[in-house]
Amino acid sequence: METLTGLILIFISAALINNFVLHYFVGICPFLGVSRRVDTAFGMGCAVTFVISISTMLNWMFTSFILRPGAPLPAWVWRTAGGNPQTQLDLSVLSYIIYIFVIASSVQFVEMYVRKFSPPLYKSFGVFLPLITTNCAILFASLEVLKHMQDPANLWSLPQALTLALGGGIGFTLAISLMAGIREELDLCDVPRPLRGAGIALIVAGIMAMAFMGFTGVEKGVETALTSLLR
Amino acid sequence: MSLALVALALAASVLAILAVAMGYVLGWANRKFHVAVDPHVELLQAALPGANCGGCGYIGCSEYAAALAEGNTTVGLCAPGGGSCAQKLADILGVEVQESCPYRAVVHCSAHTHQRLQRAGYEGERTCVSANLVAGVQGCTYGCLGLGDCARACQYAAARIVDGLSTIDYDRCVGCGACSRTCPRNIITLVPFKAERMMVVACSNQDTAADVRAVCEVGCIGCKACVRVAPELISMDGALPAINYDHYNPEEAEALESVLEKCPRKRYLFVGKPTPEDLAAVEHEELPEAVTADFKTTVDDTEWRG
Repeated sequence: METLTGLILIFISAALINNFVLHYFVGICPFLGVSRRVDTAFGMGCAVTFVISISTMLNWMFTSFILRPGAPLPAWVWRTAGGNPQTQLDLSVLSYIIYIFVIASSVQFVEMYVRKFSPPLYKSFGVFLPLITTNCAILFASLEVLKHMQDPANLWSLPQALTLALGGGIGFTLAISLMAGIREELDLCDVPRPLRGAGIALIVAGIMAMAFMGFTGVEKGVETALTSLLR
Repeated sequence: MSLALVALALAASVLAILAVAMGYVLGWANRKFHVAVDPHVELLQAALPGANCGGCGYIGCSEYAAALAEGNTTVGLCAPGGGSCAQKLADILGVEVQESCPYRAVVHCSAHTHQRLQRAGYEGERTCVSANLVAGVQGCTYGCLGLGDCARACQYAAARIVDGLSTIDYDRCVGCGACSRTCPRNIITLVPFKAERMMVVACSNQDTAADVRAVCEVGCIGCKACVRVAPELISMDGALPAINYDHYNPEEAEALESVLEKCPRKRYLFVGKPTPEDLAAVEHEELPEAVTADFKTTVDDTEWRG
């Protein structure tokens, strides 16, 4: 039960309380660029959720076996090289380059696979998949997981990492779909001339971020509720 | 061995192995998941103008190119590309271009604001779609509303409102049909332009003579005089005459002129590019001032009242 509560908390935290877009301000480019219509925005959100889950899963493996302090591969190499077992080999400097590498290659692979085996899905994802390669929300999810892999006594497991990625992706979909809905309505509004276009979009995004601030501190209450519910 | 040296060697080898492994996997996937694409599609797409106007009936130029490559359709449907584009497409596909004529938009109404009767004040949104929902904006329930939905739909600035009537500039019209799809009263159709100037029926009112006279100073009263003059060219479609363009021959100027003269309401018009004689006849007249481009956003096109 402890783990289930933890997973639900991670999910709610990533999707709502610490929403990637509205709390950390990552993934802003698609948030502003692809939020003109609700259906394309939703498609972008689904594609991001898909890619973020796959790349976080792969990156969790690299983090857990190679990159984190005290990972098995560097430790084995250090022992084989005859080093002092008291000191540790830390490869976390490589995290950025390996994460970007893994994200780009996995997106490429997924694109090829989908193109071959699911042409309708390829058609609907088509434009978004290559765009997502450079989406910072995806790199951010992997870096968040890395943060929780520093202490060897308290490592994040694969389900936890995946839950964070899924929650982040769904939170992104929620934010971009809400934004697109508002912007569709804005097209019919009499916006003051100097604010039209990017100006009003940024103001709307700011107000949305303030609204999401309302979730701050909810996690304590959710935790108490969940523990009493699941006991 | 020092820690730094081992770390460096390990980092380098991890990256190198990762690069080789990923390169191998992606290269394998590229061959394994290879999708054969018809090379004709790319060539055809390059030959099309890329306006994505939808005039051919497909969603954008790439869809049309794909349909052409599969042999589902014919070359020469591309209105903006015209004859040269059709020739290029035919060369790529190795087929013959069939004789075709361009289609151009024709407004089947010719009543300017002062000629339309029983008009009431309309203070709603300034679009035809909205005005068409309100009864009694003007007496004629068939004719042009003059609020310019067609002008906003036209990507080529060919349709515009002149004195409350939609008017097509045939120097600019490419026959994409955006205006005819937009018009809520369906009075704009695409007519095969066998010559630079074509005779058209410039009225859409299907009512009887007395009702037409009550709402319009110029509308067709359905007297059938034209059908008696040229029965093989013109037939009655309800209360309105319709020209059968399959039998239309622009060379037979006299037959066309006789129809024009016989019509008591003068509802047959020649539309299209003016002849040199026409231009010479109006040479002495002063042209209105040139209209300069007004760059607007789509939001600016929405006019609000109240």
